[in-house]
Amino acid sequence: MKKFRSNKLAIFLFTFPALLLFIVFVFIPILQVFAYSFTKWNGISAPEFTGLKNYIRLFTDKVFYTSNKNMFIFAILVTVYQMVFATIFAIAVSDAKIKGRKFFRVAYFIPVVLSVTVVCQLWLSILNAESGLLNTMLRSLGIDFQQNWLSDRYKSIYAIAFVNAWQWMGYQFALIVAGIKTISTDYYEAAQIDGANAAIAHRKITIPLLAETYKSSLIIAITGGIKAFTEMYIMTKGGPGTSTYTLAYMMYSSAFRSKEYGYGLAAASMLVLECLAAIIVINAVFKSNDLDAVKKKKRRLFA
Amino acid sequence: MRKRMIGLFLSMTMVASLLVGCGSKTEAPTEAKTETATEATTETEDTQEPVTLTIYAQYADDDTKIPYDYAVEKLKEAYPNVTLELIVQAQDDGMTLNTMAASDNLPDIFQANTDIINSFRETNQIMDVTEVAKSTGFEEKVFDSCKELLYADDGKIYVFPYAGQEYVMWYYNKALFEQYNLEVPTTYEELLNCVKVFNENDILPMSLFGQEGWAAAAMYDTIATRYTQGGIKALDEGSASVKDETYVNATKTMSELVNAGMFSADVTNTNYDQASALFLEGKAAMFLNGQWYIPDATEKLGDDVDWMYYPAQDAASYEAGKAVFSGGGSTSGYAVNPNGEHAQLAAEVAAFISEKYCESKILNGKVFVSQDTGLKAEGELAPMMQKLSDTIPSITSMTKFTWGLTNATFKAGIEDQTRFLLSPQYTPDEFVNEMDAVIGRMNE
Amino acid sequence: MKTKFSIGRLVFSIFLWLYAAFSLYPLIWMVFYSFKNNNEIFVTNPYGIPKVFHFENYVNAWSKYDVPTYFFNSVIVAAATVIITLFCALLFSYATSRMEFKGKTTLRIFLSIGMFIPVQAILIPVVKIVQGLSLSNTRWSLIFPYVAINLAFSCMIYYGFFKGIPLELEEAACMDGANIYQTFFKIIVPLVRPATATLAIYVFLAAWNEFILANVLVGSNAALKTLPLGVLFFQGQFTTDWGGMGATMVIASLPAILVYIIFSDKVEKAMTIGGAVKG
Repeated sequence: MKKFRSNKLAIFLFTFPALLLFIVFVFIPILQVFAYSFTKWNGISAPEFTGLKNYIRLFTDKVFYTSNKNMFIFAILVTVYQMVFATIFAIAVSDAKIKGRKFFRVAYFIPVVLSVTVVCQLWLSILNAESGLLNTMLRSLGIDFQQNWLSDRYKSIYAIAFVNAWQWMGYQFALIVAGIKTISTDYYEAAQIDGANAAIAHRKITIPLLAETYKSSLIIAITGGIKAFTEMYIMTKGGPGTSTYTLAYMMYSSAFRSKEYGYGLAAASMLVLECLAAIIVINAVFKSNDLDAVKKKKRRLFA
Repeated sequence: MRKRMIGLFLSMTMVASLLVGCGSKTEAPTEAKTETATEATTETEDTQEPVTLTIYAQYADDDTKIPYDYAVEKLKEAYPNVTLELIVQAQDDGMTLNTMAASDNLPDIFQANTDIINSFRETNQIMDVTEVAKSTGFEEKVFDSCKELLYADDGKIYVFPYAGQEYVMWYYNKALFEQYNLEVPTTYEELLNCVKVFNENDILPMSLFGQEGWAAAAMYDTIATRYTQGGIKALDEGSASVKDETYVNATKTMSELVNAGMFSADVTNTNYDQASALFLEGKAAMFLNGQWYIPDATEKLGDDVDWMYYPAQDAASYEAGKAVFSGGGSTSGYAVNPNGEHAQLAAEVAAFISEKYCESKILNGKVFVSQDTGLKAEGELAPMMQKLSDTIPSITSMTKFTWGLTNATFKAGIEDQTRFLLSPQYTPDEFVNEMDAVIGRMNE
Repeated sequence: MKTKFSIGRLVFSIFLWLYAAFSLYPLIWMVFYSFKNNNEIFVTNPYGIPKVFHFENYVNAWSKYDVPTYFFNSVIVAAATVIITLFCALLFSYATSRMEFKGKTTLRIFLSIGMFIPVQAILIPVVKIVQGLSLSNTRWSLIFPYVAINLAFSCMIYYGFFKGIPLELEEAACMDGANIYQTFFKIIVPLVRPATATLAIYVFLAAWNEFILANVLVGSNAALKTLPLGVLFFQGQFTTDWGGMGATMVIASLPAILVYIIFSDKVEKAMTIGGAVKG
């Protein structure tokens, strides 16, 4: 059996195609990103090596701090919103007793299928400070909570993060649905015999057994937040001013608008490093909560 | 063993891809050169050989489609052997064009502006077309007032410009001003009063598409030029400091207007179509745009629309300022990739197309082109156009649209910062300090 | 006790329906949008049914560019991307999750770096590599980068699913005399069908909607252009024909919705791992 699992030829054959494509088309370009982040370069002519200069400038650049702050807000808001709603909806559509499950499954996913441009145009219109649907509704309901949703220097990042969280919630939803499909019904039967109601059964079985799925979802949500670009590009262009810049937007703006390509790549390098740090932290957190251990515990519980 | 295998494989793929990478770098230019050489000889022997040229051009709205289609039509008669393959220009801050340049993959003909000329000529990716401009007679036909748009700062010609001098206009809805018994403002004091009256009556005082950096910067420039002629152009050239009192005052004025509610709360994410619709539907009293908007505005609003001289801090500066306009031409137009297979032919075609663009624009009632085509628009000019034409001889000083600025870092900086200034939450001090930092960086 | 329970259920199902409406409205909005002109979109009627149906938006979309060719290219590129990505990711994740060799965690994290990098940052190097490999002006110039970019994500999802399969499965197969390849293709691959169907949707959508690389890599070759590039014909430097753009987006979105409905049904029908173990 051990030989079976450590068949060297098989390991090579299994990992080779993915690694080859990945290294050629993604990893080598990333290495170049790191290499050029130490240069002054406009993207076209010969780069000029400047050592750590770009990084030193990065750490004294206000926009870099704004971008990082926005990135945190974005990642946290997106993660919380998506995890909570995706879990609720996934459990609901997996429950045979809920009517219209098939319809819900399609409906919740629809925003993912739509182009980002369409979704952003819709929200631009809804969130418009004067004529927008949201403020009009708040006004007619007499709720004094009208905001300049997308043009407030301090708050618009939350509105943008919400749009992103809302659009991609379906993504996480479908993942968790697929995860639930792989859970044996035995567990639920055992829980039912033990007299647990649905909510308890889900809390004790579904969520712990989906640890790996959640880990992936978490990584998707966080890296999605860190990489956020399109929403800013379409809705606010990073504005007002630079207040909704994220690292990805900063990279784009420096590289292509300011023609400071090397500096933009330094921002991109920081982005990769921050993502890597996030993934390592997530891995460490989930390691202490190992899946096999959870399973064994459940088995004992319902044996 | 396992480790070694993976290591070996990793290093093999690395080496392989690096080799491929280097190969392309060294081979591509030589290949291109030999091909141009052979082509050049065959071209002289047989001009009828069919040639396809790729062209990176704007092709989306009437302003860009009509001239392109017209030029292609005329090209068929003049160069029957040439076919153009259009690559539609993306609105992506030049990302696509830069990537094509970085990978030695430029189309034969592309649209270039000052900032592209500056970066592409370093790597010899934009052709010096001075000779072609002379031999085709292009240079000769360019109006004297537009001659400066032809030459780059090294005195050479890299682009065939078709747009002439252009002007930032403050359009206003006459009917709305009359309805509320308001005079066209000449000073900021009067302007603030108009802003107040319009706001009280649920009319947006000024519609501005602040999502576009150039529009925000143009707004700032129309104020800055009231204090000092140079406006943003002088900052770009480094001949003025943003900490000068004149710029500080201009910044304060703009901030004051913003705080008084001159623009919509969402001005920083209003796009052109939205801002224009507000003005044309009579929901906004004023609108900032270039003079190219005159036909559109006249068509929808007829006699109700006019343009005004920009208000100033006092009556004297207002009068003096009538000779100083924001806007201006830029050294931009069709350029040629010198490494293309048919570079010489492409240059002639580029000159030809630019000429035809001018013709088409004239025929469609847009008078501000770079050269004398010998054609005249049918019918009378729109009144606003006539008024502008009459004013032009007395204009003594112009600035730049942001696309005419020479330094990309400054351009991105002024666009971001003026957009920030449109937010009531941003202070003039912050603006001045940040702009000062940007200017410090661009001289590095 | 019983009535309280059903009131809770009622509230819950109202919530489910409301959120569903909240998710479906954009689709309807997009269809309305595609029949409007700029004035109606921005000022007079942003949310409701178009007052005048501008069918010419669709006529424009259809006449401005070669919709069938773009469509065909998109289908080929997206389908090839899905197949190759899923094949490579299945193999890779199986090895890193269920086989034993040193450095497999490192290898896994190494591959996941692909998820972090914004495509704008690697645009120029990728284009150079595509040229270096003489892939320019072929559909491979899009397919390979798309596969490479989507691998990280797909491998991560598969890894999670593989981890959830009991190890005993292969042990049983091994005792029956099957070798690793047979075990993998006959037993393991069918077991992760829900994941495969879900990933098929994701990778398809990513390839179907991709704009930036497509514009740079095949933007100059009319025969290879994909559907997202159609919007270029509507976006001018100043003005944009939003209605026409809406029409191209409706054209581009419908197939994607269809693909989702088909594959999510596959997820639904796929047998559960629990069932397999028991049987």
